[in-house]
This record gives sequence, C-alpha cells and structure tokens, in this order.
Amino acid sequence: MKWRNIVYLIRVDMKSGRLLRGQKLNRYNVKRNRFTNYIIYTVAILIGLGVGYLAQLGYNAAISESAALQALFSQTYSGFLYSLPTLGLIYSLVFTMLQQIQRSTVRFTKQALFWLPITWEEHTVAAVIAEVLGLPLMIAAGIGAAVLIFSAFAGQTTLAFASVLAMIAAIIMASAITEVLRILQLRFTGAVYKSSGRAAVWVRFASSLLFFIIFYIIYFYITTGSGAATFVQTISSAQNTAWFVPFVWLGLTLSSFAGGFLLNGAVFLVLSLLFILGLIYLGVMLNKRFGLYEPPAIKISSGVYTPKTGMLGKLGFTSVESALIRKDLKAYTRRRELMTVFILPVVFLILPIMTSLNGGQTPSAGAPGGLTWFWLIYVTLFPTVLMAMSMGSFLTGEEGQSVWRIYMSPISAKSYVKSKFTFLLFFTLIILPITATAGVFLYPHSMRATVVLVLEAVFLAFSVGAMSLAIGIKGADFTELPRARMIRPEWSLINFGAVIGVAVAVLLPFLPYMLSLIIGGVPFIDLYIATAISSLIAVVLTVAFYRWAVDNAKELFAKAQV
Amino acid sequence: MSGQYAVELRNVVKRYSEIVALNNVSLSITPGEIFGLLGPNGSGKSTMLKILLGLVQPDQGEVRVLGISVKEDPVGVKKLVGYSPESPHLYEFLTGVEFLDFIGDIYNMPAQEKQSRINDYLKALQLEGREGDIISSYSEGMKQKVALIAAFLHKPKLLILDEPLNALDPRSARIIKDFLHELKLQGVTTIMSTHILEIAQAVCDRIGIMYQGNLLALGNMEELRKMAALPGSGLEDVFLKLTGTSDVRAVVEELLK
Repeated sequence: MKWRNIVYLIRVDMKSGRLLRGQKLNRYNVKRNRFTNYIIYTVAILIGLGVGYLAQLGYNAAISESAALQALFSQTYSGFLYSLPTLGLIYSLVFTMLQQIQRSTVRFTKQALFWLPITWEEHTVAAVIAEVLGLPLMIAAGIGAAVLIFSAFAGQTTLAFASVLAMIAAIIMASAITEVLRILQLRFTGAVYKSSGRAAVWVRFASSLLFFIIFYIIYFYITTGSGAATFVQTISSAQNTAWFVPFVWLGLTLSSFAGGFLLNGAVFLVLSLLFILGLIYLGVMLNKRFGLYEPPAIKISSGVYTPKTGMLGKLGFTSVESALIRKDLKAYTRRRELMTVFILPVVFLILPIMTSLNGGQTPSAGAPGGLTWFWLIYVTLFPTVLMAMSMGSFLTGEEGQSVWRIYMSPISAKSYVKSKFTFLLFFTLIILPITATAGVFLYPHSMRATVVLVLEAVFLAFSVGAMSLAIGIKGADFTELPRARMIRPEWSLINFGAVIGVAVAVLLPFLPYMLSLIIGGVPFIDLYIATAISSLIAVVLTVAFYRWAVDNAKELFAKAQV
Repeated sequence: MSGQYAVELRNVVKRYSEIVALNNVSLSITPGEIFGLLGPNGSGKSTMLKILLGLVQPDQGEVRVLGISVKEDPVGVKKLVGYSPESPHLYEFLTGVEFLDFIGDIYNMPAQEKQSRINDYLKALQLEGREGDIISSYSEGMKQKVALIAAFLHKPKLLILDEPLNALDPRSARIIKDFLHELKLQGVTTIMSTHILEIAQAVCDRIGIMYQGNLLALGNMEELRKMAALPGSGLEDVFLKLTGTSDVRAVVEELLK
C-alpha cells in the first residue's frame, strides 16, 4: 500500500467539490492556494470557540455559586464527555449515509481509479479518510473547540482533550462503516433489481423512499428538541450496560481510564483500534469482491414497441407538453436524487408526530390553542409550500447534461413552462389531501378552518410554484457529478427568501384575523373575506411569475449553455 | 440571402471573450448535399453547428436553415432538423424505446408512423431485445445508435451529425453510411463533423476545413488537393498541409527523446 497514492486520491476527492462550487480553473497550476480547502475547519473551530465561551459565561451566571449544583453539573458533564465518542460516531454515520444516498448514481463506473495502478487497499483507505475530511471533521472541529474551551474553565481539560481525540477516532470508525455499507448497498440493490425483473423500478422507488424515511426519522430524533436530549441521556446512561457493542468501546475507554480502571481502559482502547482496522479490512475485502460495480440492466418492457395513448392529450395538452410531463414523471420515480422530494411531506409529518410522542404537544379536541394552531398550519401548509418550492427550483436543473435534447428540440418556451408547471402542481396538490387529513386527526379543528387552510395551501402551491419555477429556470445548474446540483447556490438562497416573501404576501389578509385572536374580541375581518382577498393576491402573483418563467425559458433556450 | 440553399451563413462572427470562435465565416450548402466539416480541436466546428441549430447566437452575420432565419424562428428550424451530438447525453432513467417515444412525441409524429419507424430502426441497428432496458445499462455504441435513431426518426430535411460513427460496430457504421447516401437521393442534406478523415473522404460531396475560427478551405476532394498542391494525395495529407499541422514527424521525434 502506497500512502502517496492515498494522498493523491484524497486530493482528487477534495477537488470534486469544485464542480459544486462552480470553480473554474483555466490552467494547470501545481501550487494552488489551499486556503479554501481548510477554511471550513477554521470557521467551525471559531464558531465552536464562541459557543464554548458563551456556555462558560452561562455556567458562571447560573451554576457557579451553588456547590451542590456544581457537583451535579460536573457529574453530568463528565457523563457527556464519556459519551462524546459514541455520539460523534452515530451523528457522523447518519450524516455520511445521508450524503452517500444523495450522490449521483450516474456514470460512477467510469472512475479513473478502476484502470489506474491503484490497489483496493489504497482506494478503501482513501475513501474512509476522504469521508472523514468532509462534514464529520468539520462538526468534530466545532464541537471539539467548544468542549475544550468550556472544559478549560470547568477544570476538566485532560478529560476533554482525550474525549475529543476519541471522537475523532469515532468518526474514522463511522466513515469505515459508511464505506462498508456503501459497498453492501451497491451489491444487494443490484441483486434485488436483477431478481425483480420489470418490477425493479418500483422496488427501487419503494426501497429508496423507505431508506430515506428511516434515516430522516433517526436524523430528526437525534438532532431536534427533546428527542436529542433523550438520545444524549440514553447514550450516556446505557454505555456501560452495552459494553459488548463495539460502537461504545471508545467511550468506555475514556470512562475506564478516568475511573482509574487502567486495565479495562487499555483493553477497550485496543479493542476499539482493532475494530476500526477490522472495518477497513472488511471494506477492502468487500471492494475486492464487489467494487467493480456494473449498473444492473433493469428491463421495463419487452416485445414489439406499441405507443400508448395517454390521458394528457384529452386534457388539452399538446404532444410536446405530454411528452415532457411523462418524461418528468419517470425521472421523479426512477432517479434516486429526485425521489427525496416525495420524502418532504413525510418528514414534515414526522416532526409533529414525534413532538407529540415526546410529550411536547398532545392533540386535543375543541378550539385550537396557540401552539396547536402553529402545528396545524405547519402540517397543512408547509409540506405544500416546500414541495412547490423544491420541485419548482429543481425541474429545470434536473435535466442535467441531457438538456441539449430540450435545447435542440422544437419546444417553445410556453410549452416548456406549461408542462413543468402542470407537473409541479400535480404532485404538490396530490399530497395536500394527505397532509390536510393528518392535520384534522392530529389537531382537531373546525370545518371552516380546514376549508380555509386547504384553499390557502392551493393558492400557495400556485404562487410559490410559479415563482420557484421561474427562479429554477434562471438559476439552473446542469452539473451532474459528484451529485446533481440542479440550482446554483445563490439562486437557491434567493428562492428561499422569495418564497417567504410570497407566502407572507398571500397570507397577509389573515393578519387582522390573527391579531384579533391574540388581542381578543371580535375578528376585524371575516375568515372567508380574508380568503377571497388572499386568492386575488395569489392569482396576481401566479400570473406575474408564470410570465417571468416563460421569459426566463426563452432566455435559457437562446443561450443554450450546457 | 436566397432560399435556394439548405444552409446559408453570411459573414458570421462569434467571440467568446478574447477567443474568436468564428471569424467572418460564409458558407452555402445545397439541398441533398453531404457536407463534411473538418478541423483540429477548438477550430470552431461545434460552434458553427450550434449556431445552425440556434443554440448559440452569433455576434454578427446572418444564418438561414432551409430558408428560415435561425434568429427569427429557432423552433421552426428545429422542427426540420435532426441532430446527433458528439457525446449524446441521453435520459439515462428512460429505456431506449421510451426515449425514442419521447422524441416522436416532441416532433408530433402520428402514433402509427412513430411505432413503425421506431421498430424498423431498432431492428436495423440490432437493438431489438434491449430496447426495454434503461439506457444507463447501455454501452457507448448502443447509446450512439439511440441518438442517431432520434435524429432520423422524424424524417428531417437537414441532418446535423457530430461524429456520427463514434463507437459504432462496423455493420452499424456501414448501415448509417449507406443510409445517408439513400437520404441524399431523397433530397435530405447532411452536415457531418468528423475527425476520421477516411469517412469524410468516402461519404462527403464537399468538405470544409476549419482552422482557428476561419473556413480555411472548401470544396470537393479534387479541389482540396489543388489548393494544397498535393495531387493524388489522401485527405489526411491535404488536411495536415492546409492546417499547417504537418509537423507530425518532428513532434513524434521530440516525444521519443
């Protein structure tokens, strides 16, 4: 194994981000400025230092004067430091797996390393280190800095330092696990698709959705609200009883050494290192066996081709518009990176349900209170708005490098926008009955409120959808590797801000009504009158943004830059 | 500009910052002609093809395709043109037949005609049996075949083919060459960009050689030989001499050091 080859491979992986950053390099330059490669870690450390210092100020103000509280806090904080490696491992694993499943599946068999003189050992070690150097190390740098600065004031510097080192070892462990899971996923999904025959495309759709949902549930559980607090407490208390699980061995190494059990500490340390090496060895073995991945040939149809007559023609769509809509339907049910859109409503339902389960808000019958109103609006409106926003901004960039087909086909800007907007509305409005029904069951409220909320969701789907589509065309990004980018970052931010603006504009007529609920007394405006005014605003905005989308499409087709 | 030509470019200029991609290029191609466009990498061939399709707007000059101004009616031009790019990025999530069905619909082909032509092409280019597989599992040659069928499917009056025989097996390459000759007899014009000079020499009626944004030479093989003062030579020698890149021996010797 040549470490020089590993370093070269890691550098290539770090440079793959250039496509995502839109960086242009016009000439070969050996001595590049590497400042940008490391600035993310510097920023993370600075943020960590700031957070750690603020936490220390809070600690001094709240706890430092009571000896009893100090002792309790010290005990709890030590528990946190012991569990930091395990927490780091689980968080890193979830982040890296989410990153992995969003990577483009297109053309990765063409990686140069398959025909270059690089061994699988070098490839596996480089993949593990490259994974560490991304988001996991950035988060570790931030948390590490915060913990070290806080511990310096709290007098636990040695334990904190050891804990941060163990956390870094834990994220290496997480990256090795990700590499093993990545290869296994390639191997077994390929086998499943092959054995599924024509159903393969639907098997892939269902399994990808399930995979996303499971990881998002875990993600939300361990990163938000009381779930996160419960999770940290559980890890902290369950670490000793789960000593046979390799994931906690690094944490047990810390607690054993800190408790004076040197032999135990040494055993767990050796076991941890052996486990990391074992995972890397397993990764090498799996890569040797399954690394040369060939995409499975999914057969969807066979026999003599016969064109199908679709419904869209009968609904007044031209041949071109129908073809574009059907093509996009297949894209969103067959491309894994686009399927994430369908997860959004599920994710938005998970959060309030989990909050309810954690005792944050119990659904109650009768008139909704303040917090219930929030969750009700959240469940009914947010998924629709987010779906319209996401689909609108993705629908042009998702064409990727195949966009040349659109450019050189006789497709007018009007037909293009009409087909994309119809597709967007179809999917956005199809989830509305689901989220509205969930709202009714989770947070019981009057029929009047249901009608108004559903109507507002429809108005927002139209206005936000038209605007995001226009922005998605203007800021389209057809980069496909290492992952489909779809919209340039600056336009993504503009879109986010504009969606808030449009949502506020459409919902503005409800402000007097909401104020009267807060202040009390008779509402200043009838709910249905507010809805009618809101519908007018939505119509005006939709028409204006739809026209802008057509203008942007004309400009896009005229420039035709791939 | 008259409407008697299939393609007319008059004094076309296209600049990318300081780089002049096309420098005052004028060219006329008659209906039914097979025109070969040659030139070293970066000579302006792809820019010219994109301008013909309305995908790139020229800074100066006028372009008409089949009598239609590309600037005024780009969609009208695209309806009559079949195009196959050098590296066809197809929708990899579709099957071959779904992609061709999509193309047929984009060109508004009647269902019966679309079905008949797709099945005929799939059979001719030996894609039968794989047409229901998703394109991501196709070889480069199979993707090229699908891209070429997509260009031919709607019976265009002008074909713009960028390296059309790339990755094709000998049988399919021969079918495409013979097919282009048959289309020529039906009045279909073909513009073909290629680096394989033997193909250009065998297939094309006239050849244009691009170099640094200029149309350096234009004519049939005999006229090109005269221009290069190389009677009886093949297109490779003519091309190297006209483009001033005939120093290959010296380059090879330098590499061998």
